[in-house]
Amino acid sequence: MNGGTDPPLFIKDIKPGLKNLNVVFIVLEIGRVTKTKDGHEVRSCKVADKTGSITISVWDEIGGLIQPGDIIRLTRGYASMWKGCLTLYTGRGGELQKIG
Amino acid sequence: LEPRTLGPLDHDLSQRLERCMSIVTSMTAGVSEREANDALNAHVCKGPPQHEEVCLGLFTLVLTEPAQAQKCYRDLALVSRDGMNIVLNKINQILMEKYLKLQDTCRTQLVWLVRELVKSGVLGADGVCMTFMKQIAGGDVTAKNIWLAESVLDILTEQREWVLKSGILIAMAVYTYLRLIVDHHGTAQLQALRQKEVDFCLSLLRERFMECLMIGRDLVRLLQNVARIPEFELLWKDIIHNPQALSPQFTGILQLLQSRTSRKFLACRLTPDMETKLLFMTSRVRFGQQKRYQDWFQRQYLSTPDSQSLRCDLIRYICGVVHPSNEVLSSDILPRWAIIGWLLTTCTSNVAASNAKLALFYDWLFFSPDKDSIMNIEPAILVMHHSMKPHPAITATLLDFMCRIIPNFYPPLEGHVRQGVFSSLNHIVEKRVLAHLAPLFDNPKLDKELRAMLREKFPEFCSSPSPPVEVKLEEPVSVEMDNHMSDKDEGFYDNAEAAFSDDEEDLSSRGKKREFRFHPIKETVVEEPVDITPYLDQLDESLRDKVLQLQKGSDTEAQCEVMQEIVDQVLEEDFDSEQLSVLASCLQELFKAHFRGEVLPEEITEESLEESVGKPLYLIFRNLCQMQEDNSSFSLLLDLLSELYQKQPKIGYHLLYYLRASKAAAGKMNLYESFAQATQLGDLHTCLMMDMKACQEDDVRLLCHLTPSIYTEFPDETLRSGELLNMIVAVIDSAQLQELVCHVMMGNLVMFRKDSVLNILIQSLDWETFEQYCAWQLFLAHNIPLETIIPILQHLKYKEHPEALSCLLLQLRRENWSLSQPPPPHPLSSQAPPLSSGGALVGRASPAPRALPSASDSGCPCSLRSSSSKLAQLTLEQILEHLDNLRLNLTNTKQNFFSQTPILQALQHVQASCDEAHKMKFSDLFSLAEEYEDSSSKPPKSRRKAALSSPRSRKNATQPPNAEEESGSSSASVRAAGAGGRAQRGPVAAPANGRRPHLFQEEEDTKPKPTKRKRKGSSAVGSDSD
Repeated sequence: MNGGTDPPLFIKDIKPGLKNLNVVFIVLEIGRVTKTKDGHEVRSCKVADKTGSITISVWDEIGGLIQPGDIIRLTRGYASMWKGCLTLYTGRGGELQKIG
Repeated sequence: LEPRTLGPLDHDLSQRLERCMSIVTSMTAGVSEREANDALNAHVCKGPPQHEEVCLGLFTLVLTEPAQAQKCYRDLALVSRDGMNIVLNKINQILMEKYLKLQDTCRTQLVWLVRELVKSGVLGADGVCMTFMKQIAGGDVTAKNIWLAESVLDILTEQREWVLKSGILIAMAVYTYLRLIVDHHGTAQLQALRQKEVDFCLSLLRERFMECLMIGRDLVRLLQNVARIPEFELLWKDIIHNPQALSPQFTGILQLLQSRTSRKFLACRLTPDMETKLLFMTSRVRFGQQKRYQDWFQRQYLSTPDSQSLRCDLIRYICGVVHPSNEVLSSDILPRWAIIGWLLTTCTSNVAASNAKLALFYDWLFFSPDKDSIMNIEPAILVMHHSMKPHPAITATLLDFMCRIIPNFYPPLEGHVRQGVFSSLNHIVEKRVLAHLAPLFDNPKLDKELRAMLREKFPEFCSSPSPPVEVKLEEPVSVEMDNHMSDKDEGFYDNAEAAFSDDEEDLSSRGKKREFRFHPIKETVVEEPVDITPYLDQLDESLRDKVLQLQKGSDTEAQCEVMQEIVDQVLEEDFDSEQLSVLASCLQELFKAHFRGEVLPEEITEESLEESVGKPLYLIFRNLCQMQEDNSSFSLLLDLLSELYQKQPKIGYHLLYYLRASKAAAGKMNLYESFAQATQLGDLHTCLMMDMKACQEDDVRLLCHLTPSIYTEFPDETLRSGELLNMIVAVIDSAQLQELVCHVMMGNLVMFRKDSVLNILIQSLDWETFEQYCAWQLFLAHNIPLETIIPILQHLKYKEHPEALSCLLLQLRRENWSLSQPPPPHPLSSQAPPLSSGGALVGRASPAPRALPSASDSGCPCSLRSSSSKLAQLTLEQILEHLDNLRLNLTNTKQNFFSQTPILQALQHVQASCDEAHKMKFSDLFSLAEEYEDSSSKPPKSRRKAALSSPRSRKNATQPPNAEEESGSSSASVRAAGAGGRAQRGPVAAPANGRRPHLFQEEEDTKPKPTKRKRKGSSAVGSDSD
């Protein structure tokens, strides 16, 4: 029962540099897995809410657990540009929670 | 209070419940029972909010604390002042909104609570029972769902007297369990449940038939599905021959069939979650954007073979319950027919498909305009109407079904059914769902027989009611709409017909007109000049000239040149992209002939392939291949292709063919992915499936030709797709199967992967016999351990799946002997195991490393005597000869084959053990192994040891009759020779595993039980040196 009490932010309102984001979205696609040099698995997933869609970068095991169609609440995320694309990340102390 | 949670319920709800619970526990903890009671009562007396707190608190305790449940329920009964109303409401709310999120203990407790409520005869408990039944998902035989079905059934059976008091509960329970019976078969547990369900339904049907009558005609539909169960057969006899025995007011089956099913029954077979999702699709999702939603739904509810039965429930629900308002109907929201079309096209089994069609037409059969609603029959006609263009096969099968159901539904009522279908059609025309049926019934896309049948059954709907003059007026309109890609409306004749409209004027009589309409189907009319004038006017002048040139040009080369000019012009800066669509229409018309003729050359050589890709239309592909993908011209060409694709779907597989056949496109297969994303389908998987489907319908040879590259290039789309495999095996013949098997064994083609093969094989259980055999042959050609697909056993039934069972048995016999079930009961020795053919296959693959040394050591020492004797029949000389032939003939693959360590080790092993004559005879062969020897650091000792035992084993090997009696002693020599390390699996397994070329690459990771399957090469060395 932790966090997530503020109304979630709409994807359309996400801007680069925003921090401490709470967003609720549905997973559309899971991208290919890439491995970083130090062995982390990174997946870029396309997610959406009713206002828009965005790519979220999911690290390590949790990426293997999520599936298209999952409804997920992101707490304490942040957004920044990566390779020219606005991308959402889970911040420190943040988490992804499947809610539907 | 942390450990007591309800699960991830909604925050508000679960927080409120937990707060109430803590209020109650604070009053009752650590005090005597009496004091606790007083405290609760005192709190309740303070007012309604406090009353609610206590009720909900106790309710939550019942759900979360099984040990206290009894006591808490008693308290609840004592303090409740509203006849448990608060609790009943909360139960309903949790069931409808949160059941899926409830933890298992809570579910168990909820069942327990409802049982108690029923036992106490609480008013309103019947409603809770009905809500509970709604949670039982159709087409779902997972343990949790079965548990729920059984638990609720137990309550209803135990409290049968109470059930009989509520008419609606009787009807709902009968409807629910009649439907669920169909899902429950197979295992003993399901069989037992089924029997309980049968007994329960029958007793209610027999005793309370009048209550069951309120269900309406869908009761008959459900009874049809269970009619083969003996108890129901008897009931059917009474329904038909002796209706009064069931109820004096029951006059017969017609009475039931003529009454419309109430919506609450159709709705009760969908879980709240399914209902929410379907309603969301039909009220919020835009047409054209439904793909993801359908995929999600499909993955959740329709992905298993057991779930096929759910399709009918969904279709009945959509026809009978989802009746969108006029605003929604006129908006761009996903229409009902599109969902039905999706449900029909994704059907994997024939039985499910015909049940689905029946469900779709069920309200047609006894349709009466005063009692039934147009909304119930509208989806069927619209699916047929809208599928004519993109999926004519769907329309055809539905029309065919509509014709055939009239005499076949129930012959004694044929007249009524015909009347019903006729009134449906009349009503459809009256209400202007479609203005005319002739474009649907007499469409050149349908085959001749079907049109003849339609004409015979529905003469009055086949002719256009308007005189020919009016028809003419309609057609330019339809052409125009094609240009703008609006396929929303009627005016459904396609371009092919528009092109012939000139002739049509002369032919006024109906018969002649029809005769003419068959024309476009015949392949011979290809040469007719095509009329593209309506499009030409819309083109830019320069483009128009070129298109005209293209039309006049007769030889391919000239046409190609013009085509290149056209492409260049399209790519020019100032090209108006609005023109693309019109240009696409022109090209489509002009090159119709290309799409009718054979794509693949008769004889496949490099030249003929290169020649076959020299068509003008392929110039677009060639240009595409030569471009950079990020360039704007690239996407412009893709747009052109996408326009073409809308008008001529065949271009999809032509592109696939081009990418495979043309040298210019080598390694560019991924272009197809860009193409797929550029089409309106927007998605590789759908696009690929539709193109392969189109290819399958047009040209099976081409389909086989494309298969290897499709599977290689798009593994993510293909390897999981039972649909694609079915498409292939449904049309290939045995020669083509052989070709595919060869491709697989040569390593050019991988059609199965360990993670998805099981699912695909399970899907295949519903296919036709030959299709299944093909699927198994293809599976067996791969090197996938049988363990991977063992879970399929639970889906197999002796009578229903002979194909799969026999294939599996044959494999199991040669596979894992330590399986918990006993080996198949067939007499093992009576049938020759195909080992000799396995040996013969050495040439194709590499069973040799296993088969060779074991043959030289006279087979395996284990209990598989019959098999070892069979193996012994393969003489060493035969094997060596075969290998030598292989060395001489296989120029291409020799390099790989003879460079494998196990082969070389085996050869060395044999060389050491055979006599001089053989050494001489096969010296060339053995020389291959010597090269290896030089580089190997194998201790020479082991080879000498092997040589010691060899004369004897050679003798055994060449004298098959002795092999068996001597197997005991020879096993000792085998161990001495060092082959013992792998002896327990023996050579029997070798051909089964070894038939594929990847054996040795794959074995490392596919090997599930290393202790049982030692690799021959290394283990031989290891055990020798011990």
